[in-house]
Amino acid sequence: MRRKFWLLAAVASFVAVVSLQSASAMTRLEAATPGVTKGEIVLGGTFPLSGPVAGYAPIARGMEAYFKYINARKGKDGKRGVGGRSIVWKYYDDVYNPANAVQLANKLVLEDKVFAVVGTLGTENNQAIRPFLNQRKVPQLLVSTGASFWGLQYKQFPWTMGWQPDYISEGRAYGLWIAKNHPNAKIAVFFQNDDYGKDYVRGLKIGLGAKRSLIVSELSYEVTDTSYASQLARQKASGADTWVAITTAGTPTVRAFATAKALNWKPDTIVLNSVAATEAVMSAVVRSVGADFVNGTISTAYLKNPSSPKYANDATVKRYKTLLAQYGPDGADPNNAFFYYGFAKAYDMIKLLQASGKNPTRASLMAATTRMNWVNPYAIPGVKVKTSRSDRFPISQIKLIRFTSPSWTEFGSLIKGR
Amino acid sequence: MTAAVKGVLLAAAVALIILIPQRAGEFRLSQFTYVAIYFIALLGLNILVGYNGQISLGHGAFMGIGAYAAMIFILGREGLTATGANPPGWLLEHGMRPIFAIPLAGLVTGVIGYLFGLPALRLAGVSLALATFAVAVSLPLIAKHYDSVTGGGGGVSLPLPTTPFGWDISTPHWLYYEAWATAGILFLVAWLLVRGRVGRAWRSIRDGEVAAVSSGVSSAAYKTLAFGVSSAFAGVAGALFVIQVSYINPDTFPLTLSILLLVSAVLGGLGSLLGGIFGALLLVFLPIYSQDPPVLHFSFSKQAPSVVFGVFLILMVLVAPGGVAGLLRQVVQPIKIGLARRGSRPSRLAKEE
Repeated sequence: MRRKFWLLAAVASFVAVVSLQSASAMTRLEAATPGVTKGEIVLGGTFPLSGPVAGYAPIARGMEAYFKYINARKGKDGKRGVGGRSIVWKYYDDVYNPANAVQLANKLVLEDKVFAVVGTLGTENNQAIRPFLNQRKVPQLLVSTGASFWGLQYKQFPWTMGWQPDYISEGRAYGLWIAKNHPNAKIAVFFQNDDYGKDYVRGLKIGLGAKRSLIVSELSYEVTDTSYASQLARQKASGADTWVAITTAGTPTVRAFATAKALNWKPDTIVLNSVAATEAVMSAVVRSVGADFVNGTISTAYLKNPSSPKYANDATVKRYKTLLAQYGPDGADPNNAFFYYGFAKAYDMIKLLQASGKNPTRASLMAATTRMNWVNPYAIPGVKVKTSRSDRFPISQIKLIRFTSPSWTEFGSLIKGR
Repeated sequence: MTAAVKGVLLAAAVALIILIPQRAGEFRLSQFTYVAIYFIALLGLNILVGYNGQISLGHGAFMGIGAYAAMIFILGREGLTATGANPPGWLLEHGMRPIFAIPLAGLVTGVIGYLFGLPALRLAGVSLALATFAVAVSLPLIAKHYDSVTGGGGGVSLPLPTTPFGWDISTPHWLYYEAWATAGILFLVAWLLVRGRVGRAWRSIRDGEVAAVSSGVSSAAYKTLAFGVSSAFAGVAGALFVIQVSYINPDTFPLTLSILLLVSAVLGGLGSLLGGIFGALLLVFLPIYSQDPPVLHFSFSKQAPSVVFGVFLILMVLVAPGGVAGLLRQVVQPIKIGLARRGSRPSRLAKEE
């Protein structure tokens, strides 16, 4: 056995050396533009379709429904799809794990040969795949995260671009509003201790400007904390009358409100960031602390709210509901804002493809991303989708909204984030 | 299995490993690189579980420790500062080549695993499983807490891998050969350990600890050694993993990875080193292709990849309770017996002629 083993090892290493040399000689020719053929444009992305944050999965399915509609309808040029090419939408489950996102981005680019990666969800996941996609010169567009660096680092990563208003602009809007409407407020900031939360706090301070000193308490929580009682007790003791809560959708938001209520602390003004302020979360908060406690809470929005009475007769929202019923997954709930978000994003992707010329290339698509200038009907009236060579934030206008159980109402005028 | 059958299997595996890069596209190649990485982790896990009878639900976390160690070795204080972290002064100033970081990461993880093995000694069975589970649960939290060296929740991007020393070979090919060469070396190490005195001691503890101790085997020494070696393997796997992914944050080594590793070790076959290859193949290909089955075009698969995954696992356990290696053994056994029978009756054969 022992002698056989060494013989085997010797043969194996010999073959290994030979194959190493022949392997290096292998080269492959790439097609002119991967993912674009006469009849198809292949797009891809990764999303958490299972696991703890699978609540975001409707984004991918909303995009799917919209692309199906585009493939079925006849456009202004009399052709279906985009100039006669139908959209093939490949999306995979990354379980919100960046390592999975990297493997799947490899699959999308190298095996599925996608034209561009669109809408991938999560700041970390997008960060993880960004170097690879930029090295391969594959567009990474309309990412589903509001970190500010998607719009800021375009010189370093020219193939990457964001979409939604970034967290700094949103924080700034709250700062501006407080400085103007409550110039003598005593502010307590409670935020999630990561890049996401810190971006918001940075924006808030920019908005407050000279009134920055109004902040009397600035405390954070870890995603893994199971109790916020000690932080919020200190915020209550600080005598703050304005509470800026920067949390993530789901448990942290509900817990923050429930803890404040349990401590008998009712700040006169509550500001809650938009990511946390989805309607599903708010109804859980109301169930937990009662409508009286939360009514009057301030947040921001940039898309129409498909479940708000204000838009019940809006042509776009009505069309969205029809299309989702026709092309969406069975039993899709049109009041789930993430389907709507997917529609809004897919709308801009189609516009981008239409703006990339008759035979789109990856370069022409990226060129189109620097001259976006249109109105997205899914956005709040007046919001423009606009970029330039030096402004890489497609949507940067937001509107303040106020909560009256069970839903949000817009107020005030549009705020330019940047 | 006879030595000859084992030899043939090993030769076939080596031949396949060498042939794959000639045929496979770049993505397929990267998948087989992951197979090598998981194979290394499963070798380590098999030493602990299959040969020493201890249970670990924390091997994903040990991979994570190796990955973080490798990341810190590769970037150094300089590189970490550039990513926005605030590393302490005692770290190495400059980073090193990934290829040197791999064994160092293995060493660091091995030492940590060995130290963990000391208190774990007092535990057995379910209690040990829970203790290792605690490692898997707490690693992401620890990584988030010490963000000055780990980059915290936001994670750290490593430079994309390149072929070192100016060798004339594409980077995906380099990563593939690097991973498989490491797997080959570690397979040899594991094989030598398992077949010799150490392996005998490990197995004797597994099969009857009291009997082993009364025969003069130091249970404490060998159990902690198994933990150390096993963790070192996981650490090397983690280092290769982070080089391949070139990004790390606490979510890259979730609890599910630890559980899946144990499941694949069982599916590959406990107590069979080569069985780890099958476990690794499952670990790499099943999650991706249960989302998008290549042959069967289920329309429900997009909705329920985990269902496909789960059904496959249950079927595997039903069909092959001894893992793939056990299944092979079942197939080979009758042939072996048949061969032996033929060999023992030469007279009858001679008559028929």
